[in-house]
Amino acid sequence: MSAATLESFLAELDRLRADSEAAVAAARDAAAVEAARVEFAGAKSGRLKAIQKALGGLAAADKPAGGRHFNEAKAAVTELLAAAQARLAVAAAAGPPIDVTLPGSAVPLGHLHPITQTIRRVQEIMGRLGFESVDGPEVEDQWHNFEALAIPAEHPARDPLDNFYLAVARGADPLLLRSQTSTVQIRVMEARRPPLRIVSLGRVYRPDTADATHYPMFHQVEGLLVEPGTTMAHLKSVLRLFASSFLGGDVHVRFRPSFFPFTEPSVEVDMEWGGRWVEMGGAGMVDPAVLAAVGYDPAEVSGFAFGLGVERIAARRYGVADIRDFYRNDVRFLRQF
Amino acid sequence: MILSKQWLADYVDLPASTAELAERLALAGLNHESTAETGADAAIEIEVTSNRPDCLGHIGVAREVGVLYGRPLRIPDPRPVETAAEPRRRLTVDIAAGDICPFYSARVLRGVRIGPSPPWLVERLRTVGMASVNNVVDVTNYVMLETGQPLHAFDLAKIRGARIVVRRAVAGEPFEAINHKTYALDERMCVIADGERPVALAGVMGGADTEISAATTDVLLESAQFAPLPVRAAARGLVLASGSSYRFERGPDPAMVDWASRRAAALILEVAGGALERGPVEAGRLACAPAEIPLRSGRVADVLGCDVPQARQREILVGLGFVDTATSPDSTTWRAPSWRRDCWREIDLVEEIARIEGYDRVPEDVAIAARPVEWSAREMAVRRAGEVFIGAGLCEALTRSVVSEALESVASPWGDAPPLTIRPALVRGADRLRRTLLPSLLEARGGNAAVGTDDADLFEIARAYVARPAGSSDAASSPVEEPLLASCVVGGDYFRAKGLAEAILGRLGVDAHATVEWRPVACALLTQGRAAEIVLHRDGAAERVGIVGEVAAATLEAAALTGPVAAAELRLDRLDGVIARERALERPSDFPAVERDVNLVVAESVPWSEVAAAIRGGAGGLLERLRLVQVWQDAERLGVGSKSLVVSLRLRSDSGTLSGDAAAAAVDNIVAECSRRTGATLRA
Repeated sequence: MSAATLESFLAELDRLRADSEAAVAAARDAAAVEAARVEFAGAKSGRLKAIQKALGGLAAADKPAGGRHFNEAKAAVTELLAAAQARLAVAAAAGPPIDVTLPGSAVPLGHLHPITQTIRRVQEIMGRLGFESVDGPEVEDQWHNFEALAIPAEHPARDPLDNFYLAVARGADPLLLRSQTSTVQIRVMEARRPPLRIVSLGRVYRPDTADATHYPMFHQVEGLLVEPGTTMAHLKSVLRLFASSFLGGDVHVRFRPSFFPFTEPSVEVDMEWGGRWVEMGGAGMVDPAVLAAVGYDPAEVSGFAFGLGVERIAARRYGVADIRDFYRNDVRFLRQF
Repeated sequence: MILSKQWLADYVDLPASTAELAERLALAGLNHESTAETGADAAIEIEVTSNRPDCLGHIGVAREVGVLYGRPLRIPDPRPVETAAEPRRRLTVDIAAGDICPFYSARVLRGVRIGPSPPWLVERLRTVGMASVNNVVDVTNYVMLETGQPLHAFDLAKIRGARIVVRRAVAGEPFEAINHKTYALDERMCVIADGERPVALAGVMGGADTEISAATTDVLLESAQFAPLPVRAAARGLVLASGSSYRFERGPDPAMVDWASRRAAALILEVAGGALERGPVEAGRLACAPAEIPLRSGRVADVLGCDVPQARQREILVGLGFVDTATSPDSTTWRAPSWRRDCWREIDLVEEIARIEGYDRVPEDVAIAARPVEWSAREMAVRRAGEVFIGAGLCEALTRSVVSEALESVASPWGDAPPLTIRPALVRGADRLRRTLLPSLLEARGGNAAVGTDDADLFEIARAYVARPAGSSDAASSPVEEPLLASCVVGGDYFRAKGLAEAILGRLGVDAHATVEWRPVACALLTQGRAAEIVLHRDGAAERVGIVGEVAAATLEAAALTGPVAAAELRLDRLDGVIARERALERPSDFPAVERDVNLVVAESVPWSEVAAAIRGGAGGLLERLRLVQVWQDAERLGVGSKSLVVSLRLRSDSGTLSGDAAAAAVDNIVAECSRRTGATLRA
């Protein structure tokens, strides 16, 4: 190389650095990295060696600056090559290629029961609407299961053949397995003052012969809202928000008149599901007699209540044709949820 | 209730489309079950709720149609021709039990010719699913289906002593019904007796001996009111439900008792001939006290959330048979019709207006104010326990709360009292409320094994039921305690089940408020020596909150399982008071840790829990993690009766880097504390 100016010397250094970076980046294996090392840092004819010779050709005043830049470039290239070699060494130590279709290490994952999943979904949606989940006893007395719910002693619903009465009683008060989760609503209303928004949920019991659509033990979710000025429009709007969240899309609800002792007016609730009206449960305005039974003034507050049969919803949601399957506890069934 | 469309059209003009009619009725409260075309007629089956006995007859349904479509009703006024003969001269009627039979009437027809019914009558009954018997019996059925008022026809010649007595049955009294079965009655039931014996089970079924036969010429036609309870006692107690009992349990229209009697008499004269004697023989008084109900003008809008104009409200109520008895600017008082005894309060009138006007009028898009919602501690405990179980690969089971004796014969960890029982059984043989979930889960694991899944690891979170000791303070409020249990049955040994229990206790954060102790326990379900109770110490009190262990061989065998199987059961209801809702952050130290392994030799009888407590006590706050690496015994190297515990200690200070000397001092301190408390020696 002939005598050079500092400017061309530095330009040559810049080129070298750029070329070395490109070469290392392109190197996919040890041979390519070695070829780059020979090209740039080779002891005999590497490009660094050649530039080092050109350093001697610089004017004396330029030599300190040229030397400093040369040393920087040399260090950078050396480091670049060392890093590339280290990277390849790690890769080489990671083991031979594998059959990527071999199975992964099994992660044991459990499954919540579909009934629980359905209840949780309802709780979650109702929670967003301000309804708190509450819990209560399953062994109940006459007051909470019947009387406070405006079901008097002579009502057919209290017939011994239609309930699971316990052999033990509390004094003269027969006890039974609750036939509805409305019992919890009574307990909460007795303990608190309005405003109130709750969902009560859990197991209930009625002596039905087990078949594809009946089981003597099943689950209910019941909602209750008691606030001044509550109307059926609030009931319908809450159920529509629920239906739209649960089923997805803009779902409409339909009320058909019905009869329950503890609500007045009472309705059956249909929701549009899969292009047709599906009966989802019962609802209505809390009967003034129920409000009075828990010590509320029906002139001051009103409320609504609704109940959903969890098994029925879950069966439809998951395509379960026989609700007894929910209680067989076959893990081949449970693991699908 | 099955309706004949043609029959309905006798009383009101119907819309042309049967489907539209059915839909409209459904949206007004008469749920549509099915429609079957039967030649020229159509059979429409509707579901009638128990508060609407008026719709258990065609006239009542026709009234609904009239209101819904704004069309007039055509109700006939039967005036059968009567002879001069007065039946009361030859027949007496007495009511001995007015509380169960307020009113009884009997008409007498003589010279009747029993035979087949005319085709129109046979056809109508067939459409609504009723077989033709003979012309007189068919008429009584026809009028019941027309009015909702059940009737009964007796062969007057078979009535002994020329008298009818309505009384309570005598316990054990035999009665042979029309179905030729003999029943033993009890005193809750009501009978129609003649001078000598029961001739009908009141409101339910007639007797075999006095039924209308081909030889009958004189007929006693009964139309009466019976209270619901004796009818239900008989219908259910004897499994003898009938169209009659179904209606009396719900309460027919008192105003139709005489109408139905006259109607049936007129039809018998038409289809069977004969002569009707003058007037009925009656006893008692018709119970009919329609309510007077004030309706405030703004009330409908207050309940429904949408207004219905006053004129429309009036139109609906008048159409349903309500009579305006007083009107003021703010309110109108309405008298309910005799057939609507379910309407006696203002809210009942609001419902009538709403269901006829249609609930599609109620808006579905009003704003709902937001409200805060908090998870209860109980809910949080249930969710966290479930998370641990499914994170560990278990599936959630739902087993029955009520079990058979076989599953309940082992003692419960939660109380010594014998299991509570229910009646009837939940399913065959299962009448005992369970006191622990574990037998049910073992049974479920066994069921899985039987179909080839021998690794079914299951959990359940549910209640058990334990009788409280009589006389205890809690027993007064409820004699039954309901422990909320989180239970599991898994393949593996004690340590797998204990690991799950520990993970739940950790996830609930019980260590923030309490300490947990594991004590050996004797429990029939679990193997002696490989089971523990979990005892929670809090505020100086100690209580059992769980059990864990390996399932005993006999229990496994009973469930057709092969081991090893382990189980754990935790009382979440006892833990929800100690769960940590949220905890303050303990900031991790920025300084390096020092790891030290220590090999301690102690007597075999020393439990790990004591050694661990000594290690923690000696560490002076520097111990970040304690891990038991190995336990081994070797008589030659350690001596008889000793064991070696290899523990790994991670020491770290949060105020500075721990020097080698400081770490060594800490280890020395730990060993010294172990030696002092447990007699441990350091093995070189």
